[in-house]
Amino acid sequence: MNKLITLGLVIGLTGCALLMPKEVAAENIDITGTVQSRCTVNTDTPGVYGNPNAHTLTTLPASAGQLPIVRVDTTLANAYNAIISYPTSFASSPSLGDTVAWTGAVAVVQTSSSDMSGYQAGSTTTGAARTYPLSIAGTTWFSVASQATYGGGQNKAFPGGSYTAHVVAECIAQ
Amino acid sequence: MTTPILGIPTEEGMDISGVIYNYKVVKDVEDDFIVTVQNKDVDGGYIFQDTEDWSGKHGMRIQKSIPLTYTPIEQFGDGSIQTTGTGSVEDATVLYMYRWDGCRNPQNDENCPGYVEPMPVIPKIEIYDALEDENVIDATEETDSDLYEKKEEEREETDEDEEDEDRLELAMAASENALTIANTATQASLLKTMNAATNVTSYYVANVPGGVYNESISLNGGKIVDNKKALKSLGQDKLMNKMIEEQYK
Repeated sequence: MNKLITLGLVIGLTGCALLMPKEVAAENIDITGTVQSRCTVNTDTPGVYGNPNAHTLTTLPASAGQLPIVRVDTTLANAYNAIISYPTSFASSPSLGDTVAWTGAVAVVQTSSSDMSGYQAGSTTTGAARTYPLSIAGTTWFSVASQATYGGGQNKAFPGGSYTAHVVAECIAQ
Repeated sequence: MTTPILGIPTEEGMDISGVIYNYKVVKDVEDDFIVTVQNKDVDGGYIFQDTEDWSGKHGMRIQKSIPLTYTPIEQFGDGSIQTTGTGSVEDATVLYMYRWDGCRNPQNDENCPGYVEPMPVIPKIEIYDALEDENVIDATEETDSDLYEKKEEEREETDEDEEDEDRLELAMAASENALTIANTATQASLLKTMNAATNVTSYYVANVPGGVYNESISLNGGKIVDNKKALKSLGQDKLMNKMIEEQYK
């Protein structure tokens, strides 16, 4: 008797499983990829400000300054623009109560191919920035000259201290 | 066309993997100008040649890297920057990238495969050979016999001349006393004669007739009587001796 009861319970449980609704599955699958940079920007030579007089800081070598050199490498032609800007403000300096007038220039100083000799002529300027279409794969070196004059035209002496300015160099896809 | 030479010192085990060159082109845009940086291969031809055509382009500074497969530096011949056209190259530098294979010659390092223990260097010993010594050669050099004999003859002639001079002087001195010379000659002749007379040779050759002289005395009666006058004679002798001694007293 006990045997029959046990068997009936087993059949009953099996029948319940067959009658239940099916469960819904969902999965998020990752897709990964890496884009190798085909344009890189590196500092070739850091810049130094010379102080030819009390109210001027300049990177010109004639005034004991040093021109910063930026190197841009691209392995893909006609794919990037190099945008180089001379500074228009100090990143760090003593407290300045008067205005600083900035001037500067960006130029191609060296290339890895004679075919790049037209880069300077083919560049355009927007404010302090100069844009170079990199039409040839290779390396281009840019120099960035900058000069800061203190006093808003009154030629005031810069306060003593440490001054730092940044050159911005970018490689932006066309 | 200009071809400045780029010298490369060669070291065994050095491989060149690339070249970086840098120069500034000075030219007008409209001018044609071609610059070739190259390096000869010792087996002929060029290991690399890199040409930039600056025709119709702005002159500026260029820096270029030329990758090469690892090439033994012994393979590199003369290098040059060759230009063609109107323009010039200024401030040129050429850098060779290299790696060093220290075991190219296994003998460079005992840890290199194929290293062979070198044979010890045997010092060279200088052996002194007296026969090769210049001083000995000079000392043992044969004298010139002709020159030597000539000197001997000259010396003998000098001696003879001196003897002649002595004789002459002697003769001249002797002539001052001819009589002395004559006497000397006479005396010499006399002595010679005397010596001839006293020649003892004849004594050695004399033959003495030999024989036996037998005693011919015969004693009559067989008795020899003493001489009686002898004692008297002895007395006279004693007296005589006494008289002689008296005179010294």
